[in-house]
Amino acid sequence: MPPRIKPALLRQLRYLHLPSSPSPVRCTSSFPSRSFSATTASASASASHSSPNSTSPNSTFTTVSPDEVSHFNALASSWWDPQGPSRILHLMNPLRHDFIRSCRSSVLDVPPPPSNNLKYLDIGCGGGIFAESAARLPTTASVTAIDPSPEVLSVAKAHAKRDPALRSKLTYLNTPIENLPVPSTPQDGYDIVSIFEVIEHVPYPADFLDRCAPFVKPGGWLVLSTIARTWLSWVTTNLVAEDLLRIVPKGTHDWRKYINEEEMKTYFLQKRAQWTEPRCMGVVYVPGLGWKEVPGSEKVGNYFFAVRKVPDTA
Amino acid sequence: MGSIVLSGRQLQRPLSSLCRSCSRRLLPRLSRSYAAVSSQQPDIYDVVCVGGGPAGLSLLTALRSNPTTAGLRVALVEAQDLEKVRSWKLPPDRFSNRCSSLTPASAQFLDNVGAWAHLHRDRVQPYHEMQVWDGVTDARIEFEWTPPAAGKTIAYMTENLNLTSGLLRRIDELGGVTVFNSARVAGISFGEETEDLDLREWPVVHLASGQRLAARLLVGADGANSPVRAFAGIESRGWDYERHGVVATLELEGEGWGGDAMKIAYQRFLPTGPVAMLPLPGNLSTLVWSTTPANAALLKSLSPKDFVALVNAAFRLRPVDLEYMHTISSGQEEELAWRLQHTQFNRRAIPQTVVGVQDGTIASFPLKMRHADTYIGERVALVGDAAHSIHPLAGQGLNQGQGDVESLARTIEFSVSHGQDLGTRMSLESYNSERYGPNHVLLGVCDKLHKIYSAGSGPLVPLRSLGLSAINALGPVKSFFMEQAAGNGIKLF
Ligand SMILES: Cc1cc2nc3c(=O)[nH]c(=O)nc-3n(C[C@H](O)[C@H](O)[C@H](O)COP(=O)(O)OP(=O)(O)OC[C@H]3O[C@@H](n4cnc5c(N)ncnc54)[C@H](O)[C@@H]3O)c2cc1C
Ligand SMILES: C[S@@+](CC[C@H](N)C(=O)[O-])C[C@H]1O[C@@H](n2cnc3c(N)ncnc32)[C@H](O)[C@@H]1O
Repeated sequence: MPPRIKPALLRQLRYLHLPSSPSPVRCTSSFPSRSFSATTASASASASHSSPNSTSPNSTFTTVSPDEVSHFNALASSWWDPQGPSRILHLMNPLRHDFIRSCRSSVLDVPPPPSNNLKYLDIGCGGGIFAESAARLPTTASVTAIDPSPEVLSVAKAHAKRDPALRSKLTYLNTPIENLPVPSTPQDGYDIVSIFEVIEHVPYPADFLDRCAPFVKPGGWLVLSTIARTWLSWVTTNLVAEDLLRIVPKGTHDWRKYINEEEMKTYFLQKRAQWTEPRCMGVVYVPGLGWKEVPGSEKVGNYFFAVRKVPDTA
Repeated sequence: MGSIVLSGRQLQRPLSSLCRSCSRRLLPRLSRSYAAVSSQQPDIYDVVCVGGGPAGLSLLTALRSNPTTAGLRVALVEAQDLEKVRSWKLPPDRFSNRCSSLTPASAQFLDNVGAWAHLHRDRVQPYHEMQVWDGVTDARIEFEWTPPAAGKTIAYMTENLNLTSGLLRRIDELGGVTVFNSARVAGISFGEETEDLDLREWPVVHLASGQRLAARLLVGADGANSPVRAFAGIESRGWDYERHGVVATLELEGEGWGGDAMKIAYQRFLPTGPVAMLPLPGNLSTLVWSTTPANAALLKSLSPKDFVALVNAAFRLRPVDLEYMHTISSGQEEELAWRLQHTQFNRRAIPQTVVGVQDGTIASFPLKMRHADTYIGERVALVGDAAHSIHPLAGQGLNQGQGDVESLARTIEFSVSHGQDLGTRMSLESYNSERYGPNHVLLGVCDKLHKIYSAGSGPLVPLRSLGLSAINALGPVKSFFMEQAAGNGIKLF
């Protein structure tokens, strides 16, 4: 646990009265969280960040928390060390492709959507674990990968030079999403917009997702992964993974920023038009075995989530 | 030497794993006419396999026959002339002396990759029963199958050249492998960094011709003295057995006690090492006799009739008598005839009498046990004898290599379908963890068996007859051994 959030956690744990509320699902709904679906954050969630103003021009609004950027800057050099602090992300990566494939093949469009020449936008790409792998797939036309952390991005660029297969397919940009030009027509959007293990590092997730949404092509998918905010996820990601096992670098997670799958669904399907076909897959990291899909675990820990932008009706 | 392009097909096939611009730049150099042009940049491949023995050829076949991995750019570097393998042909009644017993698991794998059909099937001999006994105490492990499994194939005796020439035909049919034939690896180094490419972690194979091949993954299928293993700095540990394996193609008095439908493999543990006779089609069998280098030299020096007599003696006489027969430089035939009158044995429990040996088939190989510390490094993987050498007493060396290749091909397929860089150590981890343990167990078991049975007297001898009888008494243990021999038990090989 990083010192900066410890007192808050203890307060929240006291509030939970864990012994009397055994169900983790009920727990999560019984304490106040930052208001995810609103455009302004509640003061208690993150007093240190200035509230965004969704009406202000891009030049002043930011989805980025400076603390987060400096945290990941410090991790940059070890990003591609398979035994290093990012090992657990490396191990998760194949599941992301399985999940995307299962989402894309689950729709019954007639005619089926094209499965070749896919365009990806990877937001918060980090060192490029997912971005590189997406670019290597023969079904991929291009990958644009962005991250606000300059150090992490230069590691990503240097690493991509090691593989001639990536040269013409992968483009890195050191920018937050709010500074990336929105596609001029919906059809110029991306088939897959991915946001893996990022949203828990963003101070105002609803605003952040509002900025990501226009990049998805009609019929395309927004795919993300994150961690549910439950007492179990606190124990596993903060206490066990960061403090005890040290398989995740200390200070990576601020548990208050976690978002539950139900909240995701509410955001996309009730508060926003244009979205359909929500998909979810809960995954559990088993030391020694790696990541495993565990149905139902999305309620308590790491999960993948995807929604499809309503296709254009021709 | 030259770069032989097996088919023009790779010029059109999608090069999924290499970007379009760089493959365009690289493609012209694939053809023979460009081979002599020296270049600054090495040719870039996804997989460069050094060694075109059973392991290397199976790997390339597996990669080319799988649609997921068929888009990879693959190259084979082989020091020997593969033309001789490709055009290998013997009359139906002549058999090569280098034979291996392929387990059903290996045969299944070869079938899955489309190679089994390319073997000369009339030269492949399945066998259905094993007779194994201790030459000192005469204790037997009864290996016949119990009724439910009766008639089940334990393994297929196959000439190594039948296998490798079949694999080559399958590779020719699939196309798309750039073959550097009769090409020795002169050296291996790391690549360089240029403005837009950083190949400092990519192995670059230097051929004697001056050509250089950069490898996303360099596979060492280059046998026991693997140059790839040396490049990767991977230690291989073990010991020499001070034994040689003497091989020969034998002619027997008949098709075997069970006839053509029930072929039997025999192995007798002698104090000098096990002697095995494994069935080939008709009245032929192949010999694998592990013995001291001095005995091996004697065997190779004998006239055919004395050689035949010594082989018959090896399955019949008591160890002391057999030892005496090794002390005379000729006259084994007469010696045997005289000694057999005074020896008791059950004719039908041992192989039929050998009546001849095929010309030029008597040869010997030093035996050793080696195991590499790991099968993987960054952009390096070892398969087959490059990773391990085993005592031939269980006939498992080649099968272990097939198991390696099957696992490595599956690992590569997983990487390709998930966009992983197939050469990184991280991507290769599952190959190492799948294969290392099972191979290690098998190497250990065969090593222990050799050691226990090479004592002619002393405390181990009564213990081991107890051991063999105990194995017989313990049904589950015995079926474990049998299942392992057939390669369809818990997946050990
Ligand atoms: C007496 C004996 C009996 C055996 N019996 C059996 C049996 O019954 N069953 C069984 O399964 N196994 C048996 N084996 C083992 C089996 O033969 C080997 O395990 C098998 O041949 C190994 O295959 P491989 O492809 O790994 O290596 P190899 O067959 O050794 O092939 C390596 C290849 O690499 C090439 N090469 C090496 N260096 C270079 C270089 N610098 N440049 C280019 N090319 C290079 C070589 O030319 C060779 O073609 C036996 C072995 C012996 C000695
Ligand atoms: C845990 S890493 C995940 C990296 C990558 N997506 C992966 O899973 O391999 C989180 C990344 O999010 C980036 N990040 C932090 N805040 C962000 C924001 N507001 N917008 C986009 N990316 C952000 C960080 O710089 C960091 O690289």
